Amino acid sequence: MNFSIEREKLLKPLQQVVGVVERRQTLPVLSNVLMVVDGDTLALTGTDLEVELVARIGLEQSFSHAEITVPAKKLLDICKSLPEESQIQFILEDQKLLIKAGRSKFSLATLPANEFPNLEDAVGQVSFSMNQGYLKSVIDRTAFAMAQQDVRFYLNGMLFEVSTNLLRTVATDGHRLALCKAQIQCEVEKPFQSIVPRKGVLELAKLFSDVDADISIALSGNHIRVESADLRFTSKLIDGKFPDYERVLPKQGDKNVLADKTEMRQCFSRVAILSNEKYRGVRLRLESGNLTTVANNPEQEEAEESINVDYQGGELEIGFNVNYLLDVLNVIRSDTVKLQLADSNSSALVTDAEDDSASYVVMPMRL
Amino acid sequence: MQRKIIHIDCDCFYAAVEMRDDPTLRHRPIAVGGDPGRRGVISTCNYEARQYGVRSAMASAYARRLCPQLIILPHRISYYREVSLQIMRILQQYTDRIEPLSLDEAFLDVTGQTHFQGSATRMAEAIRKQVRSQVGITVSAGVAPNKFLAKIASEWNKPDGLFVIRPDDVERFVPALPVEKLHGVGKVTAERLHRLGIHTCADIRAMDHFRFVEKVGSFGEYLYRLAHGQDERPVEARDERKSLSVEHTYERDLPDLDSCLRQIPALQDRLQQRLQRSQKDGVIKKAFVKIKFADFTSTTMECCVGEPSLPVYQSLCDEAFQRKGMSVRLLGVGVRFAERIHAPVTQYAFDFA
Repeated sequence: MNFSIEREKLLKPLQQVVGVVERRQTLPVLSNVLMVVDGDTLALTGTDLEVELVARIGLEQSFSHAEITVPAKKLLDICKSLPEESQIQFILEDQKLLIKAGRSKFSLATLPANEFPNLEDAVGQVSFSMNQGYLKSVIDRTAFAMAQQDVRFYLNGMLFEVSTNLLRTVATDGHRLALCKAQIQCEVEKPFQSIVPRKGVLELAKLFSDVDADISIALSGNHIRVESADLRFTSKLIDGKFPDYERVLPKQGDKNVLADKTEMRQCFSRVAILSNEKYRGVRLRLESGNLTTVANNPEQEEAEESINVDYQGGELEIGFNVNYLLDVLNVIRSDTVKLQLADSNSSALVTDAEDDSASYVVMPMRL
Repeated sequence: MQRKIIHIDCDCFYAAVEMRDDPTLRHRPIAVGGDPGRRGVISTCNYEARQYGVRSAMASAYARRLCPQLIILPHRISYYREVSLQIMRILQQYTDRIEPLSLDEAFLDVTGQTHFQGSATRMAEAIRKQVRSQVGITVSAGVAPNKFLAKIASEWNKPDGLFVIRPDDVERFVPALPVEKLHGVGKVTAERLHRLGIHTCADIRAMDHFRFVEKVGSFGEYLYRLAHGQDERPVEARDERKSLSVEHTYERDLPDLDSCLRQIPALQDRLQQRLQRSQKDGVIKKAFVKIKFADFTSTTMECCVGEPSLPVYQSLCDEAFQRKGMSVRLLGVGVRFAERIHAPVTQYAFDFA
């Protein structure tokens, strides 16, 4: 291996790849990054066996094929610390990777490339392409509802459901559920479901956010692979059955409330201060044109605030974990939020009043 | 958010206080406890005594046999309480989230505290130094991202030591821990785990989550998390007291009911004093009398009452005594408090089935 590259061209892709490499690894080679030079392309790969990221970088000229793995974090630290616009030369010599730039020289330990695991090459059963920013937005609008370290392992991720010309993302922790729809170009015979693990979901939203570029997404029984011009991200899927989310979408809600989103969010966050720190319960009292929110804590302190809402109907009192409501209000984009309620023991359907592509279901609390 | 928990544990607290007040005791095996001639037990002993195998909760007479030159000093509980208060006041300078476990032990949550640029390690060092110079005894400290690891850490370099388990160390540190170190694993659970071939946290981690919980039962879920270095228990400053009692082990067994009844007024007096000192414990719900008979069996008699009076305790004592009708080693009287009314909170869950 003997090639050179500008620091600036290397830095960002290297940072992205190192981002998926776990700091503490059981297998030493997993804290390494795989470098492959092939013609005028350098490919960097990082993996934790659950997810894998490959970044491709164009080189100024063609170099002969070579591959090696080196400690990821150290390589990144070295490249970061070099002066801007340095030309960095990499030479493999006696199983050490020499890194030279200006008057600096480093010699890094290596492990052979053939010890580097690669996630099996998956055959895409369903594939489609979409805008990066669009994918990020459907993830961002649902990811907060994913479970975390739940024993029901299939909840610790996000459902990607592809039907003809439609992608649905669904996340739930058993108490609340978020669902978002995106238009895509895709023909499938029947809906195809994959559960992408939490880490993969968060990486996707982080890696692909360029609103001017497209990505292709391929789903197989075991993997999701997302590819842009210079990145290829693969994640294993959670092997399990996602719950039937249609079942929990409320249908009988007849009490419709329209409220100013910002006003409601500010009201909830103020009242939340005196809610029980553990349960975060608040009481919502609904009457014609008015919503009063009340919180109490074990110290017998109390907060209460009323806001004007668009509501005609009977009185209703219902309790919620205020964090669940705030999480939803934080991702609603227009100024008006719509709540559909039935009674104190039934779930609430929360939507953006001007956009029905996302729906949120929150189960109440008995306080 | 990454928490920073410090566990502070005084080194052989009672013995340390005694050695501080009488330096001639230093370097000699000493213990604080009951008189060996009167069936006393050892509360605390210094490290010199531990070399002879003396341990706390051991019968004083047996301890004396292990170490004939052992100096056994009587308790001075109210004095130790004063010293403890002095230490707690030092701790309060670092955070208000303190959970005292006993007179000589406390958890501190220093997450977000700004002393020493937020370095929990340096706060722990400063606490140790301050206690040494202002109180005159040594404390050991453990610093970790949660309570269970902080407690293990404080034991690590005991006495007069500090041990830090950084978040990055957790993965390296936890697997090697024997299961006995896990919070809540006593002899019985440990034996059960050993029978399953589980001796260290690494053994638990090697097991499938479901299988482990299935084998170990409901407690397994908690253990499984501990074995992965996870413990979300908060440092809780307010601990609700469920009961309050005083008891006494008599030098000579009380031979009959009358001699027991004669002891009740003195015990009730002490209970009243304790109750007055801690008024905030809430509404009294029950009164109880505890008896330990000469054959070491215990019995407790209780009744619902809002304001326990002497006749109530006397009649409880009568009833309790009749259960065995033999001479009595120990008598105790106490009250139980009504649980504070917390409205039952239920978060409804989806019915996915």
